[in-house]
Amino acid sequence: MEDVIRSRPTLFFLIVLALLFLVMSRSSQTRYVGETRTMFERTVMTIFSPVPKAVNWAGRSASDMYHGYLDMRRSVNENNELHRKVAELTAKNLRLQQSEGDLRRLRTLLGYSEQVDMPTTLATAIMLDTSGRFKSLIIDRGSDAGVEVNDAVVNANGLIGRVVLTTKDLSKVQLITDSTCAVGTLIDRTRRQGVVRGDGRGGAQMYEVPSLADVVPGDTATTAGIDGIFPKGIPVGTVIKVAKGTDLFKGIAVKPAVDFGAIEEVIVIHTRKIPPQVARYAP
Amino acid sequence: MRWLRFIIGLLIALTLHSLLDSFFPNALAFFNPYIILIVYYAMGGNIFGAIIAGVAAGLVQDAFSASMFGLHAFALTVCAYTVASINARLVLRGTLAFGACLAGAVIVNEMVIYILVNILVKQKIEMFEQGLLVKTIFTLLFGMLVYQLLTLFLREEPIEASRRAIGGW
Repeated sequence: MEDVIRSRPTLFFLIVLALLFLVMSRSSQTRYVGETRTMFERTVMTIFSPVPKAVNWAGRSASDMYHGYLDMRRSVNENNELHRKVAELTAKNLRLQQSEGDLRRLRTLLGYSEQVDMPTTLATAIMLDTSGRFKSLIIDRGSDAGVEVNDAVVNANGLIGRVVLTTKDLSKVQLITDSTCAVGTLIDRTRRQGVVRGDGRGGAQMYEVPSLADVVPGDTATTAGIDGIFPKGIPVGTVIKVAKGTDLFKGIAVKPAVDFGAIEEVIVIHTRKIPPQVARYAP
Repeated sequence: MRWLRFIIGLLIALTLHSLLDSFFPNALAFFNPYIILIVYYAMGGNIFGAIIAGVAAGLVQDAFSASMFGLHAFALTVCAYTVASINARLVLRGTLAFGACLAGAVIVNEMVIYILVNILVKQKIEMFEQGLLVKTIFTLLFGMLVYQLLTLFLREEPIEASRRAIGGW
């Protein structure tokens, strides 16, 4: 049979065409009655269906990989951008925090200077030496700004010291913790007067307070306004220790009101000076 | 071995069909991968094998397209028979001969489809002439490229012919 078919290819061709025509006719009829796929067609589809499925799967996987790669690239770029923004915002935030601190401090200082009924000058500390024997501070205002020797220097917390030297644009301030600095003070609670001197170690001692005077730890000391340099009422410090002391006076340790390690802006109070001729006759 | 290679070729053509269907849905209007396979196979001159190949390839194409089942099988069988018959008498070899056979086969294929659709479905294929021209050009270009690659890498002519004399029927 096979030989007959092989020797008559044209006959075989026509038979095949006839069969295909029948298949087509059947297909074209079923197409209009709802059933669009014949059994034979379904069989062929089933046999070869793995190919389109595999192609579809491969295409989808490749597409997913490609889009995954694009997403990853985009994420990396976004990540870099966000890192850059975080760094930028962190720096900005630090600057704002700094500005906020500056603003708060300056407002306090300004409020304080408005309470003083004397001319004042705002200055910035540019050098601070609290480690040596002589405790001093350099500020960026000098005689050009009206700063004179013996002007009082304060900040919002209290007394810092007095001007001991001026140039045109700088001034040197002797701190109240310097052992050669003396400030006439009084205890707020009892109005008992005394003299505060620096102990040379960052603290201060109050002298000339009789042993019978009522002074206890926690009392606050303010300037008495009797030394001709410092105006009255500026906080000097807090009494932290009261001892019997030698002779007739108490030994009183005072903690300065100002943190000398954190001085930035200061107010120079142009105090009214005692005329030399009056000072000459002073006791 | 011949049939194994034909089946591999058919799977590649179906893969190409699926790929084009998935990513370039209109591409199959301009290009027919099955006919390249059939012409390549039929150029061996084995008429019987070419007819079987045409039916198989056509049915696969029909199964995965929206046309009437058997339409492409019919058209491809006609092409396969024609090309194989010519090659049984004339030993055509080389890229140009393959190109000529392919171009003729594409035209015959499209004409047969056009006639069958007219007869069975009573529909006219829109822009048939333009479609035929474009399909012939693209299929020809791609087919000749494939032929060149096959002869370059496989170093052989189209699937071996049986070289039987054509008998009458």
